[in-house]
Amino acid sequence: MKLHEYQGKELLRRYGVNVQDGKVAYTPDEVRTIANEYGQAVVVKAQVYVGGRGKAGGVKFSTTPDKAYENAEKILGMDIKGLTVNKVLVTRAVDIDAGTEYYVGMIVDRNVQSFTLMACAEGGMEIEELAAERPEAIIRHRVDPVTGLRPYEAREVALKAGFKGNLNKIADMMVRMSKAALELDANLVEINPLFIDEKGNPLALDTKFDVDDNALFRHPDLVALRESEADHPLEIEAAKYGFAYVKLEGSTGVLGNGAGIVMTTLDVVNRVGGKPANFLDIGGGARADIVYNAVKLVLKDPEVKSIFINIFGGITRADEVAKGVIQALNEGILTKPVRMRIAGTAEDEAKALLADVNSDMIKMYPDMFQAAEAAVAEAAK
Amino acid sequence: MSILVNKDSRIIVQGITGREGLNHTQAMLAFGSKVVGGVTPGKGGQEVEGLPVFNSVQQAVDALHPDVSIIFVPPAGAADSVLEAAHAGVELIVLITEGVPTVDMMKAVQEVKSLDAASRAGGGKGIRLIGGNCPGLVSSGETKIGIMPNRIYEKKGRIGLISRSGTLTYESAKLLGDAGLGCSTTVGIGGDPVIGTTFADVLPLFEQDPDTDAVVLIGEIGGADEEAAAEYIASHMKKPVVAFISGRSAPVGKRMGHAGAIIMGNVGTPESKLAAFAAANVPVADTMPQIIELLKGILNR
Repeated sequence: MKLHEYQGKELLRRYGVNVQDGKVAYTPDEVRTIANEYGQAVVVKAQVYVGGRGKAGGVKFSTTPDKAYENAEKILGMDIKGLTVNKVLVTRAVDIDAGTEYYVGMIVDRNVQSFTLMACAEGGMEIEELAAERPEAIIRHRVDPVTGLRPYEAREVALKAGFKGNLNKIADMMVRMSKAALELDANLVEINPLFIDEKGNPLALDTKFDVDDNALFRHPDLVALRESEADHPLEIEAAKYGFAYVKLEGSTGVLGNGAGIVMTTLDVVNRVGGKPANFLDIGGGARADIVYNAVKLVLKDPEVKSIFINIFGGITRADEVAKGVIQALNEGILTKPVRMRIAGTAEDEAKALLADVNSDMIKMYPDMFQAAEAAVAEAAK
Repeated sequence: MSILVNKDSRIIVQGITGREGLNHTQAMLAFGSKVVGGVTPGKGGQEVEGLPVFNSVQQAVDALHPDVSIIFVPPAGAADSVLEAAHAGVELIVLITEGVPTVDMMKAVQEVKSLDAASRAGGGKGIRLIGGNCPGLVSSGETKIGIMPNRIYEKKGRIGLISRSGTLTYESAKLLGDAGLGCSTTVGIGGDPVIGTTFADVLPLFEQDPDTDAVVLIGEIGGADEEAAAEYIASHMKKPVVAFISGRSAPVGKRMGHAGAIIMGNVGTPESKLAAFAAANVPVADTMPQIIELLKGILNR
């Protein structure tokens, strides 16, 4: 679960990280009030769940409260990578030239089976770009998940990265950030830029915070921060059913039983010249009602022109899948044709059920590619 | 023979009284697996399918001397169950549970590894964790310690199968069976970001197994386990390996069902995995049926 900058900053503040002051506003008037209160230049920052806000014009330096008002008018309602900005964070501006900008972050790293602490003397840039262009500039250090990051390790990393400033204070900030990542079950925490002022003191100017969905059960306070705008509305509805659903760009709806098979199904749809509309994993052992709900969900996407159901029946029974689809047909909600490939358990029973229905809306194929081609052809009609 | 487990492997089930634990205990017994008992804290003394249930893994170990424990405990207690089994000295621990918090797995995997090292240093056989979020493992015709459909693993074959995905494991095993090849042992290593056993951990076992002629590796986007596997194959393996990578058309930054299946920046891309396999001379099938073609081509050479 991704968090907004202001939410991530609040969490880090709880862990004692020195975070730049700021307040959230929903209207230009509120922005002016906050700027007046600060009595200095401010930065108005769009709060959306995507990177590259600055480049998109979603972050504006404002010398006066009136300027802040004007900038807020421009930013609020703006579209950044498909997300509408409905709130901004107003922060005290910092004289960037009077200090240096660094990067520090903690990320789940499967290669070391723990968190890796990353540090880089070139702050402000997206770490992905930096990793692609100058990987040698990033210092990486495995953090022990049981003991957490020790201060001496943090100092070593800061020295290796070439950080200049108050070494103990910088290391302390890294230790606190690491503690937050481990205790709050983060997938990723970044402080970027980490600003070091002329006196050598560190200040977190921007953050990214992404929490492990599997651990939300033990963080009810974080669940409360979840906002619908983070995900596509259909992704939120899918979560209610316990489905893993990802909205994609195409017109062939896809569903299957298991992450691996659905991923491969997307590949097959692409391979036969189609474009998948979504990723939908109904999980193992799904019964007719679950399949029915899944079909209903896929059809809520107006882009969907056909549905490709790909099931390898182990614990999932093919006849249950067929029943779910037939129920959707009988209730009149099946508005787009379904092309299925169902192999395995109760395959013959499923065939018999579909033969009884005998509708062009539902067709079954023995082969994944034939079914994919048929579904893609329907979507192209 | 086979790797890791065989018909004599004695199995206990942690979470045997739960719905999943019970269903799969029945299926494993039907396969012919030697399930000897189970553990559910607070339900010691009961019986499931005529098998004794214990309050702790240690009690089950003392009474039954199992070689393997398979875990169906819900996510919040799953990592604790792994550590309970590891500290009780169970040599092979198979974690089926999906949805375990990543930080719990980091801590559990690290502790299991240190117990493994200590066991080996003391002349023991070590302790290995497979999973979580995996379908388990099966030595065809001998024993199943997992949740795969029984039917596709009845006949013994000579192909080793390793996979990050459950359903694709079944799909491949079915294809291998239909092609008259069949599997020696199948290991589902799991789809989570932090898992106990990786491709590169399993490959040496297949390399040494006299009853495995070739290996099929089913990878997916995310992480760099496939790259590590390719490196191992290039430098250490004589047996042929055929690979498949799922999710090649997935968009960057979107999690494809498996928590581990996400492309972050330039890590985990299909391009990187394809390049690594190409450098290791490992053919990569573009489609699942092509796995069989490639395999037959190599074996007939």
